[in-house]
Amino acid sequence: MACVYIPVQNSEEEVRVALDQLPRDASDILDILKAEQAPLDLWLIIAREYFKQGKVEQFRQILEEGSSPEIDEYYADVRYERIAILNALGAYYSYLGKIETRQREKEEHFILATQYYNKASRIDMHEPSTWVGKGQLLLAKGEVEQAFAAFKIVLEGDRDNVPALLGQACVEFNRGRYSDSLELYKRTLQVYPNCPGAVRLGIGLCRYKLGQFQKARQAFQRVLELDSENVEALVALAIMDLQANDAAGIEKGMDKMRRAFEIYPYCAMALNYLANHFFFTGQHFLVEQLTETALAVTNHGPTKSHSFYNLARSYHSKGDFEKAGYYYMASIKEINKPVEFVFPYYGLGQVKLKSGDFRSALSNFEKVLEVYPDNCETLKALGHIYVQLGQVEKAQEFMRKAAKIDPRDAQAFLDLGELLISSDTGAALDAFKTARNLLEKGSQAVPVEVLNNIGVLHFEREELELALESFNKALGDGVWLALTGNKPKSYVIEASASILDYKDMQVFHRLEEDGIPVELPWNKVTVVFNLARLHEQLHNTGIANILYRLILFKYPDYVDAYLRLAAIAKARNNLQLSIELVNEALKVNDKCPNALSMLGDLELKNDDWVKAKETLRSASDATNGKDSYGILSLGNWNYFAAIRNEKRNPKLEATHLEKAKELYTRVLVQHTDNLYAANGAGVVLAEKGQFDVSKDIFTQVQEGASGSVFVQMPDVWINLAHIFFAQGNFALAVKMYQNCLRKFYYNTDSQILLYLARTHYEAEQWQECKKTLLRAIHLAPSNYTLRFDAGVAMQKFSTSTLQKDKRTADEVRSTVAELENAVRIFSQLSAASNLHLHGFDEKKINTHVEYCKHLLEAAKVHREAAEREEQQNRQKQEAARQLALAEEARRKAEEQRKYLLERRKQEDEQKRLQQAEEHFKREQWKSSNPSRRRDRSEIDDEEGGHSEKKRRKGGKRRRKDKNRSRYERDDEEPDMMDDREEMDDEDANRNYRESTTQMNDQDDDNGENPHDLLAAAGLEDSDLEDDEAAVPSSAAGRRRQAWSESEDDEPSQRRSESSPVREDLAEQQESEGEIREDNHKRNAGDALDDED
Amino acid sequence: MAKSMKLAGLKSVENAHDESVWTATWVPATNSRPPVLLTGSLDETVKLWRPDELELVRTNTGHCLGVVSVAAHPSGVIAASASLDSLVRVFDVDTNATIATLEAPPSEVWQMQFNPKGTTLAVSGGGSASIKLWDTATWRLVSTLSVPRPEGAKPSDKSSNKKFVLSVAWSPDGRRLACGSMDGTISVFDIARAKFLHHLEGHYMPVRSLVFSPEPDGRKLYSASDDGHVHIYDAEGKAIIGAMSGHSGWVLSVDVSPDGEAIATGSSDKTVRLWDFRMRAAIQTMSNHSDQVWAVAFRPSGGGRLASVSDDKSISLYHCS
Repeated sequence: MACVYIPVQNSEEEVRVALDQLPRDASDILDILKAEQAPLDLWLIIAREYFKQGKVEQFRQILEEGSSPEIDEYYADVRYERIAILNALGAYYSYLGKIETRQREKEEHFILATQYYNKASRIDMHEPSTWVGKGQLLLAKGEVEQAFAAFKIVLEGDRDNVPALLGQACVEFNRGRYSDSLELYKRTLQVYPNCPGAVRLGIGLCRYKLGQFQKARQAFQRVLELDSENVEALVALAIMDLQANDAAGIEKGMDKMRRAFEIYPYCAMALNYLANHFFFTGQHFLVEQLTETALAVTNHGPTKSHSFYNLARSYHSKGDFEKAGYYYMASIKEINKPVEFVFPYYGLGQVKLKSGDFRSALSNFEKVLEVYPDNCETLKALGHIYVQLGQVEKAQEFMRKAAKIDPRDAQAFLDLGELLISSDTGAALDAFKTARNLLEKGSQAVPVEVLNNIGVLHFEREELELALESFNKALGDGVWLALTGNKPKSYVIEASASILDYKDMQVFHRLEEDGIPVELPWNKVTVVFNLARLHEQLHNTGIANILYRLILFKYPDYVDAYLRLAAIAKARNNLQLSIELVNEALKVNDKCPNALSMLGDLELKNDDWVKAKETLRSASDATNGKDSYGILSLGNWNYFAAIRNEKRNPKLEATHLEKAKELYTRVLVQHTDNLYAANGAGVVLAEKGQFDVSKDIFTQVQEGASGSVFVQMPDVWINLAHIFFAQGNFALAVKMYQNCLRKFYYNTDSQILLYLARTHYEAEQWQECKKTLLRAIHLAPSNYTLRFDAGVAMQKFSTSTLQKDKRTADEVRSTVAELENAVRIFSQLSAASNLHLHGFDEKKINTHVEYCKHLLEAAKVHREAAEREEQQNRQKQEAARQLALAEEARRKAEEQRKYLLERRKQEDEQKRLQQAEEHFKREQWKSSNPSRRRDRSEIDDEEGGHSEKKRRKGGKRRRKDKNRSRYERDDEEPDMMDDREEMDDEDANRNYRESTTQMNDQDDDNGENPHDLLAAAGLEDSDLEDDEAAVPSSAAGRRRQAWSESEDDEPSQRRSESSPVREDLAEQQESEGEIREDNHKRNAGDALDDED
Repeated sequence: MAKSMKLAGLKSVENAHDESVWTATWVPATNSRPPVLLTGSLDETVKLWRPDELELVRTNTGHCLGVVSVAAHPSGVIAASASLDSLVRVFDVDTNATIATLEAPPSEVWQMQFNPKGTTLAVSGGGSASIKLWDTATWRLVSTLSVPRPEGAKPSDKSSNKKFVLSVAWSPDGRRLACGSMDGTISVFDIARAKFLHHLEGHYMPVRSLVFSPEPDGRKLYSASDDGHVHIYDAEGKAIIGAMSGHSGWVLSVDVSPDGEAIATGSSDKTVRLWDFRMRAAIQTMSNHSDQVWAVAFRPSGGGRLASVSDDKSISLYHCS
């Protein structure tokens, strides 16, 4: 039992104080010490004893008494002990300051400590222990350089001062000069070989920092040999074991950690590592406990940061993002620079990303990137954020970088592909394919979504075979194989028989009875849908049909499948079935805008105008007017309404047109690149006669529409052709119509053929006009209008031939033939009108018949005349030929005579004569050539003027409106008015009406001088020639305008037909949307897994 | 039967006509000559071609406004050609002597076919919504088979227009006649009683070509429609047996091989396709034409020949094995 003996003043006695029995109240001891004026070293011993027993208050009390001014005065000459007391207090406050977490108290402690040391220095400023104390204080305050100076002073006095050496080693360690630090530790060891293990700990740490792991390990192990319970050494060794990063190392490391924890449960480092371990083993409860303890026992910033990070991570993985975010933030607060500990930034970034706070997520990930500029996960995360922020280009940049850094990271390529889908399908496809190949190479399963996306991209690029391959791969084995024709045939056959009845699900029941399970996993529905779409594109309608039905069999709410079935039915003109299917879709969702739009379109096809408008409006309402398609449809409706009525009400027409224009414009404002709206706007402008503007628009739309399998816009070609036609550029119009026919309709559209014929008619190319009409009749046999028009074309051809000043007998003969055909056609139409096969008025047709017959009579006379003339000409020619022959013979004889004569003449004279002759000939050539050229240019001029005139005519068509209506009113027929047929028929009527007006003109003329009828028809008289000459200017104009009438209708009709295309697109987008959604979900899942 | 048919191009004649070739049929062999191919065109001529070299035998003129249909008598001696002006010319194949000129105004003329016995020529009458039957001995109109109008429809109703008859086909036993209309309906008639039997439904677009399968499958009727499909019906049972899709345009023509094993179609999508009825699928696609293929025809006497004609003015002959 250790005791101290306090000598009693003025006596030999001593008071014995047992150190382990110090009184609780330090005042008792103090009284004794003061009373007996005990030596100061005893004060210090007793205070230290209190400190050792953890009685800090008593310790402080004694020392504070021991350093009071009275003591200073009394013990003025006892210098060393006073200094020791002051230094002890200084060290005490240094320690307090060091462990204090609150900044103000911390400062106060440091100030006190400084004061004590300064006081000690005043007693003896050379005392090394004071300097060591000061150095420690400065170290605690983090003033490394000044600490260095303090220790240096000591070491200059005594280069073997152990505390100073240790202090200096610590300084150097903090300065990062590990080898210098190591040297100092080594010297300490040399000077004081029995020093505590802690010194070797310093050596171990230096070695560790210097990367000499083996030696570091030895040092730590030596520490443990000396002190088997040295927690720091244990922890250090454990960390090194853990860093080996193999199962054995981790096991060993964790074992040591556990031992350290058992020895001393408050080592923050060990706690953190244990927490880290339990995080990975998923024991979150332990993680929290350990970390909380760690946080309670340490004030070391980086360690706390690590603890907070562990805690945050634990919450993060449990899905408590709010808490996770909070602790990540706490962790970050403990760090000065991201370089020190970057993980919490990553975690916080993820949490922010999750909560949709992209800006702060961005800044956190950027900090990570500063430290690890090549970290793929971070690059990908940033890419995602930029996608969310709409900065696609930047996103792509990051994704590309990520993919470049790790070209084997399939996920990076997948993400890149996702990003590129909307902007660059080619690059997206490449990215997806790379990802697929990587996954396949790693023999990982390629996700269905990826194969689906590859398929869709191929589809979009019209690489249908490749698309098919990819979809099939995505689907793998399943019931669809039995239905798409590569497996048991009977199902396919059965399926093909029932294509007319979408409700027939017998096939599927049969399959189930036969033991083939009819399963359709949810993640393959989209692929099956896309596969069906592809089969539609490949015209395997039967397969597409059965696949859609398979979807509906398993997922009766899959609206798009109903709509596609409806679209198939519509394409086959089975409107009733189509409507039924759309209604099925509406049963699932009565606000489905796609279904409503389609229904509207179908109703329009059924000529159900009012209903259609209502449906279209509700379609538009269903999307709050955000869906361009709804607005477009309404625009189209208004356009149809404007031009549909034959009795055009100018006011109504203007209102509808204006409304249509407004609606198209509204779409264009929302989507400047909407081709359909632009086309519509162009049509309205053309309607108003602004051909140049509309031509520009159509040209641009045409350019825009090229290049995608999903955008097929024949309308714009037709519209452009109409513009060319209206401007009198017939050649271009013809070319445009023909291209359109070939490109979009396999040359089967009789309506466009009619436009073509009309253009030929205007260009006065009668034969082409007739041939075109005959083709149209062949394609659309029941369209009698075409026959009528063919008759008119032949009639016109004949008239114009007979009007020619000069005509050959052949021409007249063909005229007669054409007239016979025309008579036959009109007669047949006349006969057919009894059967009400068409809507023409019999009387009108009969007028044509009569006219043609008269013309025929006349033509026959002409033919005879022409033939007679021909005969005469032939005779004349024969006579002339005889004459010429005789002349020739005479000339030859003369020549012969001359020749003989000349031979007799002298050689030189003959030569001169020849030369003169040649010269003369050359002159002749020169003079004749220029004149011929001039002739040609004159012709050119004439032609130019001609076409100019035509163009002017075309431009004027609007002004002639009033003229026309008069005729129309005359011509209306009641049964024609309630005719609710397709537009074709209306066109037909209009065409017909036009022609009759022309006829009427002639009738009128004829009627005025009925006695001249025969003569006029015979064309012998000049009367009709005059009439005809007078009529054309007005008739032609009216005709043109009537033609243009029909022209005006066409775009609209075309447009209505174009809508299914748009639907396809919309639906395609829909399904893509689905795909993307799937992937998005997956990505979110991945984000969680992404840990350091 | 596992063997599958295959087509191989034998010979093509470019510019066989001056204009689109619209129709073709094989004239059976007679004692004095092999079968010949008969084609008709918009250029108003009918031409005869000798296989396999497709050597032009003769050009018949006299039609106006384009030849829409040709038909050959089973004897191979006579044939008929019809044009857009609604005239049918019956002529001697070898001498080109006109035997008769038929017209039944205001009925137009579209597809024609002689019955298997050769006693009757059936002519589809377009807008008259009827088939005209002509006796081949007297060349007199013996019967008019009318497609019934939908009930309740007024005669003035325009929908009658849609019953416009385009195509016609005799059953191999000659007891049934089917005709196809613009609106897609197919009507079946009983010849013995000159009576309408029933409609076959499923098409809603023009049916431009019909053909019965040869015996023993004589009830099976193939139809080609603008809806891009070929339907297979049981003409007696009124039921649809199957549908085949694949053409991207209108199916303009359909024919069955003499053994009933293969079906050939011609389409506006410029292709000729060969189909397997059992698989309900196309087994081969020929793309040698550059425009609508208006007619395909198997040579009846066998030897595996198929001819196709097109808007591109050409004729093609294939070997079919």
